[in-house]
Amino acid sequence: MLQLVLFNLTNGLIVGTFYVLMALGLSLIINLSNVVNFAHGNFLAIGGYLAFVLTPFIGFWGALLVSPFLTAILGFVIEKVLIRHVYTRNHIYSLLLTFGLGFILQDICRYIWGPSPLPLNIPQSMSAAVTPDLFFITWYRVFMVAVVIVAVAGLFALLRYTRVGMRIRAGTLDLETVSALGVNVPALRSLNFAVGSFLAGLAGVLAAGQLGLNPNMGDDLIMPSFIAIIVGGVGSLTGTLLGGLLIGVAAALTTVFYPSASEAVIYVIMAVVLLVRPRGLLGEEGMLS
Amino acid sequence: MSVDSPKLEARAVGKNFGSLRAVSGVSMTVAHGELRAIIGPNGAGKTTFFNLITGFFPPSSGDILLDGRNINRVPAAQRVKMGMGRTFQITEIFPELTVWENARIAVETGLGFSLRAWLSANEKRQVAEAVDEVLTMANLTAQADRLVGELSHGDQRAAEIAMALALKPSLLLLDEPTAGMGDEETYKVTGLIRRLHRDSKYTIVLIEHDMRVVFHLADRISVLAEGKLLAEGTPDEISKDVHVQNAYLGKAE
Amino acid sequence: MSTVTTRADSTVVRPWQQLVIIWALLLTVPFWLPLLGGYTAIAGRVLVMALAAMGLNLLLGYTGVLSFGHAAYFGLGAYGAGLTLKYVAASTPLAILAGTLLGGIAGTLFGLLLVRRRGVYFAMVTIAFGQVCFYIAYKWDDFTGGYDGLRGFVRAPLDFGLFKLDIAGNGTLFYYFVLFVFGIAVGLQALILKSPFGRTMLAIRENERRARFLGLPVEKHIWLSFSISCFFTALAGTLYALLNNFADPLGLNYVMSGNIVMIAVMGGMRTFWGPLVGAVLFVMLQDYVSSMTTNWMFFVGTTFVLVVLLFPRGLMGLLQRKGAGS
Repeated sequence: MLQLVLFNLTNGLIVGTFYVLMALGLSLIINLSNVVNFAHGNFLAIGGYLAFVLTPFIGFWGALLVSPFLTAILGFVIEKVLIRHVYTRNHIYSLLLTFGLGFILQDICRYIWGPSPLPLNIPQSMSAAVTPDLFFITWYRVFMVAVVIVAVAGLFALLRYTRVGMRIRAGTLDLETVSALGVNVPALRSLNFAVGSFLAGLAGVLAAGQLGLNPNMGDDLIMPSFIAIIVGGVGSLTGTLLGGLLIGVAAALTTVFYPSASEAVIYVIMAVVLLVRPRGLLGEEGMLS
Repeated sequence: MSVDSPKLEARAVGKNFGSLRAVSGVSMTVAHGELRAIIGPNGAGKTTFFNLITGFFPPSSGDILLDGRNINRVPAAQRVKMGMGRTFQITEIFPELTVWENARIAVETGLGFSLRAWLSANEKRQVAEAVDEVLTMANLTAQADRLVGELSHGDQRAAEIAMALALKPSLLLLDEPTAGMGDEETYKVTGLIRRLHRDSKYTIVLIEHDMRVVFHLADRISVLAEGKLLAEGTPDEISKDVHVQNAYLGKAE
Repeated sequence: MSTVTTRADSTVVRPWQQLVIIWALLLTVPFWLPLLGGYTAIAGRVLVMALAAMGLNLLLGYTGVLSFGHAAYFGLGAYGAGLTLKYVAASTPLAILAGTLLGGIAGTLFGLLLVRRRGVYFAMVTIAFGQVCFYIAYKWDDFTGGYDGLRGFVRAPLDFGLFKLDIAGNGTLFYYFVLFVFGIAVGLQALILKSPFGRTMLAIRENERRARFLGLPVEKHIWLSFSISCFFTALAGTLYALLNNFADPLGLNYVMSGNIVMIAVMGGMRTFWGPLVGAVLFVMLQDYVSSMTTNWMFFVGTTFVLVVLLFPRGLMGLLQRKGAGS
């Protein structure tokens, strides 16, 4: 029993870290640009597939470093070409646009790499268990969690200590003032979108190493990411972080005790949060509400 | 509603945003039928003070009384029902509806019809008469069928005032009613406010930057600077006040 | 001056002319559609999707509030109708009533949790609620049929005592039945929009802050508008189940929600009949796409992107006089 609980807890933590990476990227974009990127899961898939292409040439480690950057560049370009047109319009257009974009990206993956699952090879040493007692905790899993911790720490450091990061944070609070201070808001938004895509790409490489690749691999992650954001509270990245971990672990623990409700539990958590604390765990309340 | 109490009273009202003290310890008493102007340099806390009065957010300290009743915790929508009508610095209207529709929505809300699925012929007539009345008051009868978004700046302001009037307020709060207007439009809007005050006996509090408008209209003037009340008096007294001249009138913006 | 004259309604064709043209076309579908190579069932699908999108549009186009989860209420309507026919009684009116109530009441309850959210957050929560319903239908195999959908029910003939209408066997008759329900629903919507309450919806869309400072309880009005909208979309869902004798879990999915939103936008969400026009376009597109075995997602996705970038005001929006809308 203890083994089972530990197994699921570990799973939950790892799934939770994926949620966190995905949700943080989404959250960044929502906070600064008010766009819910439906295609975020497809950026994740593309990150994974790019790693698949790169691995034979530069190995897994190289791909892990390069693929997220390429995903970020793709995000940057797509933001410049498509997304920026809808910032000033009703939110409905950004939702429909990224919704359509997600379809397109998914079909492109399917066209290039085929509809069947593909494996992403990770170094042999990584698939070994850390200890024989806990066979399911492979070095790769430990490594994934470590990478996510580094990435999240890096993101928060970027936002706190770099000029771009401080501008992104300021823009999240008061875009008009930031714009009035002479900051190039369109460029800031493109960059911010690229950072969000980077996180999705990174999550894609990590996920591919564990679960393999398929064109709709991001679909299962997008909805929990939404919920992580709603639970964590709008406008708060720390909240998103907390929300992602919370629902990941909650889903995993439910798997132990009541497997058929494992997917439902995250929605229950969301409903409870909305009922008890509508602004989310760490969200800010608007003036009028 | 007690006749003895002033229409509006602020007692040492303060508002902090984090460490920023936007308004601190402002007291003000507005009598029934008075037209009070609030002036002060940009960032003096005038609009914040307005937002406190109208219930945009609660005060951090002090009390706000309407007709002698403490309204600190009364939500904005409720204050409207208690007789507070407000216009905003940036005109808040329903741009893609006609002038008549704008007024009608306000009238129907004021009459408590806003959740109704239908109206009797009698009620429809009641609404139509009330709409015509406020449009006449605001001098907009000729523009009744035009979309508000297409009107001149001054007429949009008049439409906004008409909507406030439709709720039969006992106190009108106007935030920079002539902001961004040319001379002719300023003159029109000033005339409208003057008529509402002199002829229709509304109690009015307004924030204004245009000193010609202020000295022409106001019974009394309150001067805010850096969130505090600097001076208060009749237009004559204010124009002679040395502090005010130093702090505000002397310095052109 | 007794009607709501917004700029959005002032199309090139006058409203009463629109009404005549639309109803003339709808009433004669079984006569002209086969000549164009269509079949009557597809016209039924158009009506159903149009009704779903018109229901959504009360919220989207008229109240200015974005729900991206209306598939949930559409799907609940379908399952409610199907389950009633399967387990309760072979009565079409009862199935419609039960499905509409199920979807509508669910929407009303969810709406309570939603009304304080705005903009994209409102949309996100609606999506998540939609997925809740999807998972329930998907997981509750033995009752809902799970992944395969709910089968094993057929719409029942209408029994008026003196005579029977065989809407089960006769496709044309069923089309007129759907059109009848559609007509009543759409008439109700028009009445709502012309009522004082309907005008407050427009007021909230146009300027929420002003609406609030008129003393309108904005949250309450948005909630009511959401609830009404869900009832209509659920009604459409019941008709969908009757049309196919099948309730599909994918009908609850957010992809379906996206489709309903797209129908409203494609036709013109600031116009009353826009969603009907959108439904015609959408069903035609769907019919074409279903013949594609690969790359249909690319095709649909590209359509979405192009509509958003090039025709954001939809087909009816294009017909309006220039400079209108936003």
